[in-house]
Amino acid sequence: MDGYEKSSLNEDDFGAKGGIVSAFDAFPKSKPQYVTKTSGGGKWTVAMLFISAIFLWTEIGQWWRGAEHHTFAVEKGIGHDMQVNLDIVVKMDCNDLHVNVQDASGDRILAGDKLKRDATTWHQWVDAQGMHRLGKSQDGKLDTGEGWHGAHDEGFGEEHVHDIVALSRKKAKWAKTPSPKGRPDSCRMYGSLDLNRVQGDFHITARGHGYGGQHLDHDKFNFSHIISEMSYGPFYPSLVNPLDRTVNPAIVHFHKFQYFLSVVPTVYLTSNRVVNTNQYAVTEQSKVISDHQVPGIFFKYDIEPIMLSVAETRHGFFSFLVKIVNIFSGVMVAGHWGFTLSDWVREVIGKRRRSNGGIGVLGNKHGYDE
Amino acid sequence: MAPKSRFTRLDAFTKTVDEARIRTTSGGIVTIVSLLVVVFLSWGEWSDYRRIVVHPELVVDKGRGERMDIHLNMTFPNMPCELLTLDVMDVSGEQQHGVAHGITKFRLKPSAEGGAEIESNAAQLHEKAEHLDPNYCGGCYGANAPATAQKPGCCNTCDEVREAYAQASWAFGRGEGVEQCEREHYAERLDQQREEGCRIEGLLQVNKVVGNFHLAPGRSFSNGNMHVHDLKNYWDLPEGKSHDFTHIIHSLRFGPQLPTAVVERMSGKNTWSNHHLNPLDATRQSTNDPNFNYMYFVKIVPTSYLPLGWEKRTPGYADGSIETHQYSVTSHKRSLMGGDDAQEGHPERLHARNGIPGVFFSYDISPMKVINREERAKTFLGFLSGLCAIVGGTLTVAAAVDRGLFEGASRLKKLRAKDL
Repeated sequence: MDGYEKSSLNEDDFGAKGGIVSAFDAFPKSKPQYVTKTSGGGKWTVAMLFISAIFLWTEIGQWWRGAEHHTFAVEKGIGHDMQVNLDIVVKMDCNDLHVNVQDASGDRILAGDKLKRDATTWHQWVDAQGMHRLGKSQDGKLDTGEGWHGAHDEGFGEEHVHDIVALSRKKAKWAKTPSPKGRPDSCRMYGSLDLNRVQGDFHITARGHGYGGQHLDHDKFNFSHIISEMSYGPFYPSLVNPLDRTVNPAIVHFHKFQYFLSVVPTVYLTSNRVVNTNQYAVTEQSKVISDHQVPGIFFKYDIEPIMLSVAETRHGFFSFLVKIVNIFSGVMVAGHWGFTLSDWVREVIGKRRRSNGGIGVLGNKHGYDE
Repeated sequence: MAPKSRFTRLDAFTKTVDEARIRTTSGGIVTIVSLLVVVFLSWGEWSDYRRIVVHPELVVDKGRGERMDIHLNMTFPNMPCELLTLDVMDVSGEQQHGVAHGITKFRLKPSAEGGAEIESNAAQLHEKAEHLDPNYCGGCYGANAPATAQKPGCCNTCDEVREAYAQASWAFGRGEGVEQCEREHYAERLDQQREEGCRIEGLLQVNKVVGNFHLAPGRSFSNGNMHVHDLKNYWDLPEGKSHDFTHIIHSLRFGPQLPTAVVERMSGKNTWSNHHLNPLDATRQSTNDPNFNYMYFVKIVPTSYLPLGWEKRTPGYADGSIETHQYSVTSHKRSLMGGDDAQEGHPERLHARNGIPGVFFSYDISPMKVINREERAKTFLGFLSGLCAIVGGTLTVAAAVDRGLFEGASRLKKLRAKDL
């Protein structure tokens, strides 16, 4: 017979000639003529392949997304400067506004000299970008302007570290002021400046009130403002901070707006890029004051000593591969076991049926084990 | 054959009868390779099990009424020890003027002569007046005699006169016209020290509340709500000499230092944090301007370090846990003349005017506490199950590979046989 000759050929090749090395073979294979292939086994194999494909798919997805690892530490090194980025429109004439920073080190920073000022019209800003008041949305719900995606947020309204890191790659460029339509009634002040990295106070006040200069008529006070950007650290225009896109209208001339900010240094790490930035928590206070007090917009900021780190980690490809192999083999072993079990169950049921169909003989127990 | 039980059918480890099995060379190779892989992976698993990871936790600091140790070691190359005063103040109203307890000052040779330490026996500034009449009672020049005076109601030494002046909030200066000081040659000795430096080292105990400590020239005293330093000796200098607050911070830490092995274990790979490394260590700031003020804004975070198995040791003292503090710091410097920061590229930054020359540390304590806990990366059972996974996974894969090789080879054989 043809088939017999071939198999004997195999035997010569693998069995006899192998010698010492083949003695180590821990996986002795059954000779093909002793192996039966059943259609039930085939079905099981296909099912198991299908299941392991599902596992494989979820595993790959998990690996690709990576895990986000949150930790914290006390900040390293000696701090000195901290950049602040501000883009604010105030409904007053540019020449009537003073911008100053005073901080715990006793320095006064003439922020007004570093910020660019453009005359603009209020309506161009309010309508342009669907803005809203800080704290409340139109139906009175709490809304910080951050794009909250459910309960999970890594900061800046983004769910994933890699999204934040990707957004930080965009070019840091300030938007152009649209040319004013009609008579300009507002002032846009924007730019970045370096502050001392200590607790401080950012003041936007009227000329002649608080920081000297020629006295300004009280009727000209209008501290309605729109904050388009307020961030600490390097300027990443695409990252949304809690104060970004805030509109806060003043009801009277003597209105005082206060924002209390706690700045939390944050570092985002992915395998190929590190983004050092700062998040902050903010509380807003605004009130009508008497005309003995100084109206204006005030940002009080403090820096937290504990720094957050959000790292996206992905297991190495090799360990991922090991995991995949483990899953695959686990499923196969389990499948084999399941097949044996189902075979046994079928046989037991089949036997019982047969014995029920026959004469009801007592003591047919032996039949199970045959 | 042994009697079959009903579990025989359930056998997950079915064996093929020996006559029906083939051992192949390729199978042998696969077995050896897979054994090597198993050994290698098990070794990795073992080292993973032995690895100790430090797991940080953040809690609210619930301790209260605690004191905090400040360990300080600083050098001032252009400030004589006689002039340098260390004061501590905090929001609780506690003030420690001219802290001397626990603090040692070492006189240093002028920096032109290398700045080495001067032998302590030569450092005696105030020679004792031994020739005095036992009934001698020096006047305090209008001030009240200090409570610490050797003879009540008298100021017998220059030191006591100075103390009396400080308590009366009067400037003292070089002691000209003061009999006791002229006898002790105070002014001459002060002038001798003019070019010397000073290293100050020691431990301060402060309340664990917001506060500040500073190193400034001259004796300090409180005048109403004001904290004043007697700067007369700092300003009134012989021609051609000057002091300044160039300083080197050798170390500044709050609480005990962790063992270096622990620090190394914790710092690891990450570059953005400095677990338990004190950021101010080995900082140097130089100036030629006597009117210069350095400020360090320190934010202190209480930290405890719990090594592996610390709970099992006797609780209380020496259980191995370390209570200490980490800190983050921002530095700031300014001239007392005010002016802007144009040199550093910030012409918009205007400094405050006036104040006291010196090095100021203002500290603030975080309500959050960091607990760094050592843990095994894996439990023993986790290690065992990992080991089983490795052995099982590898052998299953190896069996599959071997089966593939075997099938492939037999197919090849079949094809060849057909060609023949």
